[in-house]
Amino acid sequence: MNLKDCHNFKDFRKLAKKKLPSPIFHYIDGAADDEVTYARNTSAFDDVDLVPNVLRGVENVDLSTTIFGKKLDLPFYLAPTALQRLFHYEGERAVGKAAQKFNTMFGVSALATVSVEEISSMIDTPKMFQFYFHKDRGLNDSCLERAKAAKFDVMALTVDTITGGNRERDLRTGFTSPPKLTLASLFSFATKPMWGINYVTRGKFELPHLQDFVKEGTSTNSSIGNYFSTMLDQSMNWNDAEKLCSKWGGHFALKGIMSVEDAKKAVDIGCTGIMVSNHGGRQLDGSRSPFDQLAEIVDAVGDKLDVICEGGIHRGTHMLKALSLGAKACSGGRLYLYALAAAGQAGVERALGQYKAELERDMKLMGCKTIKDLSRKNLRFRR
Amino acid sequence: MNLNDCYNFNDFRKLAKKNLPAPIFHYIDGGSDDETTLKRNTEAFLKCDLVPNILASVGEPDLSTSVFGEKIDLPVFLAPTAMQRLYHHEGDKASARAAEKFGTFYSMSTMATSSIEEIANISSGPKMFQLYIHKDQGLTDNLIDRCKNAGFKALCLTVDTVVAGNRERDHRWGFTTPPKLTMKSILSFMMHPIWSFNYLTHKKFELANVSHWTKKGSSIAKGVMEYINEQYDPAMSWKDAEYVIKKWEGPFALKGVMSVDDAKKAVEIGASAIILSNHGGRQLDGSRSPFDQLPAIADAVAGKLEIILDGGVRRGTHVLKALSLGATACSFGKGFLFALGAGGQKGVEAILQRMHDEIKRDMILLGCKSIKELSKSNIVFR
Repeated sequence: MNLKDCHNFKDFRKLAKKKLPSPIFHYIDGAADDEVTYARNTSAFDDVDLVPNVLRGVENVDLSTTIFGKKLDLPFYLAPTALQRLFHYEGERAVGKAAQKFNTMFGVSALATVSVEEISSMIDTPKMFQFYFHKDRGLNDSCLERAKAAKFDVMALTVDTITGGNRERDLRTGFTSPPKLTLASLFSFATKPMWGINYVTRGKFELPHLQDFVKEGTSTNSSIGNYFSTMLDQSMNWNDAEKLCSKWGGHFALKGIMSVEDAKKAVDIGCTGIMVSNHGGRQLDGSRSPFDQLAEIVDAVGDKLDVICEGGIHRGTHMLKALSLGAKACSGGRLYLYALAAAGQAGVERALGQYKAELERDMKLMGCKTIKDLSRKNLRFRR
Repeated sequence: MNLNDCYNFNDFRKLAKKNLPAPIFHYIDGGSDDETTLKRNTEAFLKCDLVPNILASVGEPDLSTSVFGEKIDLPVFLAPTAMQRLYHHEGDKASARAAEKFGTFYSMSTMATSSIEEIANISSGPKMFQLYIHKDQGLTDNLIDRCKNAGFKALCLTVDTVVAGNRERDHRWGFTTPPKLTMKSILSFMMHPIWSFNYLTHKKFELANVSHWTKKGSSIAKGVMEYINEQYDPAMSWKDAEYVIKKWEGPFALKGVMSVDDAKKAVEIGASAIILSNHGGRQLDGSRSPFDQLPAIADAVAGKLEIILDGGVRRGTHVLKALSLGATACSFGKGFLFALGAGGQKGVEAILQRMHDEIKRDMILLGCKSIKELSKSNIVFR
C-alpha cells in the first residue's frame, strides 16, 4: 500500500499505521476512556440526511468562506495539533506548506515542534496559534508576544484541557514526549526503521514555544496527560480568558466550547469565534459530539461570532452537514494527521485535494453553488 | 450454486459474485464514499412495520397497477441501468424479454449496450427510456426522436448525476468501460473464464445509443465516471427539463428528485411522474433514503403526479410498505442486475417470479385484495 492507494480517511489511517511505531500511531488514533465520544463524533453525522435539490445549473462551485475576517478558499482548515514532527520528520513544515497550497488556515499548537517564527517566514496564508494557559505566566506572555510578532491572525485558547484526558492507549504503549524506549515499545520502533532513521537524523526534537521555560516534553520525557495535568493552570477562569483576549487585541477564539451558556459568555468577553469541540474525543469521554450540539450553539450565538465545528469529520458530506446547520467552517486534526504520517507534505496535499474534490462534487449533487446556499432546508433529521 | 438455489436478493447477489469478474461485480455492488446511503436505502424499510388485517376474504389478490398510462401486472419494474452487457452477454435483451414476460416495464439507460431500435424489435412490452442531458444538444434530441419512433411509452430524465459520485470500489478495481485489464483485475478476469469467453465471443461492447455520436466509453478505455463528467451537462436546469417534456409529449418522469420543493416544481413543469431516488446510493453519500423521504413527498404531491420509489427495494414487503405510504410503483436496479449476472434472462425471470410470489403472498397475509387497498393504516412506525 502506498499513497496512490489512499482514497479516503480510512486509507490514510491504514497507511499511517503501517509507517508509524505503534505508540505514536495510537497517540493519534486513540481517545479518552472507552472512546465512546470519539466514535460518536463521526457517527453523529449519520443521524441526519442531506436532501439535494436538482436542476440548478451547478457547473461552477465556489467553496470559499470567510472566518476571523480572512477569506479561505475552503470551508475547512487544519486544526492545531501537537508534536507533528513525531508523525513525519517534516512535521509542521509539511502541513503549513500544504495549507498554503490550498489557501486555508493553518493552526499551530503551543506544543508544535517548529517555531511560529519559522512557520511565519515560510507561508503567508492565515495562521492560528493555539494556546494553553500555563502556570508559568512568563511562558504565557512569551507565547502571545511571539505569535503576535510572527503576525499570526488568530489566537485560540484551549479551554477543554485543564487536565489531561485518560488516554488509555498511551498508558498501554507508554507513549511519552519525546518518545522513550521501553521494552514494550522497543519492538515497534525497531520494526519501523524508516521512522527511526528520520527521527534521529532530521534535526533534534524540540518544543520551541515551551522549552525555554519547561523541561517536560523535550529534555524530560513526559506523557501528554501528565504534561497537561502538571504544567497547565487549573484555576483558569473567565477573567483570565477575558484578559488574554484583550491582551491579544486581535481575533480571539475559545477552543473546546460545548455548552450554550459558555458560547454566550464567549461573546460577552469579546471572542470573535469558538470551536465547538471535545478535543477529538480525547478529553471527557461520554461528552456530547460537536455536531450533535452544533444547532443549539448556532441558534444562540451564530450571528455574533464565528462558530467552527471540529471533530469526527472524515468526509466532504460531513462538512456540508455542519455548514448546513450554520457552522461558518469546519476543522479537524486527524483529518490531515494520518495523511502527514503516511507521506508528509505530499500526503497532506493529497488528503486536502480529496476533501476539496468531495466538497465540489457534493455541492454540485446538492444543487448548491456557494457555501451560503447551504441551509437547514437541506437537512432532515431521522426519527 | 445455481439459479435454483437463489431464493432472494442475497442469493442472486452471491451467485453474481461468483460469475462476474470482481471489477464488474463491485461496479454493481458499490455505492459512493462510505456507502452509508446505500446501506440506509434498505435499512429504512425496517423503521416501520406492517400491520395485517385478518379475515378479509382476499382470495386471489390483484397485483396490477397503472403507471405512465400503462397497466402493469406487477407494482415493481426494472430501473434503467447502464452497460448490462457487462453483466451478461445478452444484456438489455435478457432483461427486456423478462420484463415483457411479467407484464412490467423494462427501462433502457442512455448508456445501454443495446440500441433503442434493437430492443424495440425484440420486445413489445412497455418500455421507458432514461435520458441524460449531454453537453451536445444534438445527441439529446436524437435520443428523444428515436425513442418516439421506436414506440417507447415513457421517458425519464436523470437529474441526480450532474457529476459522477465518488465510487471508491471502482478506484480500487480500476473499473472502466469497456473493461481495461490492469494487473490487479487481470487475475479476476482469468478466474471467470466463462464470463470472459462470452464477453469476447459475442457482439462487440459498445454504448449502442451514443456510439455513433461519441467514441467515449466504446473505443477508448474511459472510466464511467470520466464519461459522466465529460459528456453530461452540469449546467442542466429546470428549463432543460421543460424542453425535454415539450419535445417528448408523453408520460415523463424526473429521476432523482428528493426534496419536496423539487417535487412541487416537477408538478409545475408538467412532469407526470417523479422517481424518488438517490441513484442507489451511488451519488451523494449521506443523502436521505427514498423510503425515509416518501411520506413528505407523498403529502406534497400525491395525486398530482405518480411517485416511483427507487432504491433499496429487496423484498415484496418493501414494495408493499412503499405503496402503503403513497408510492404508485417501485423500481429496482441492483435487484435485477445481480439476477442478470447470475443467469441472464432466466435469472431476471427468476427474481421477478420471486418478487411476484412474495408480493402476492404478502398481500394475502396483509388482507389486501388489490394495490389500491394498501394505505397508511397498514403501517406503524417504530
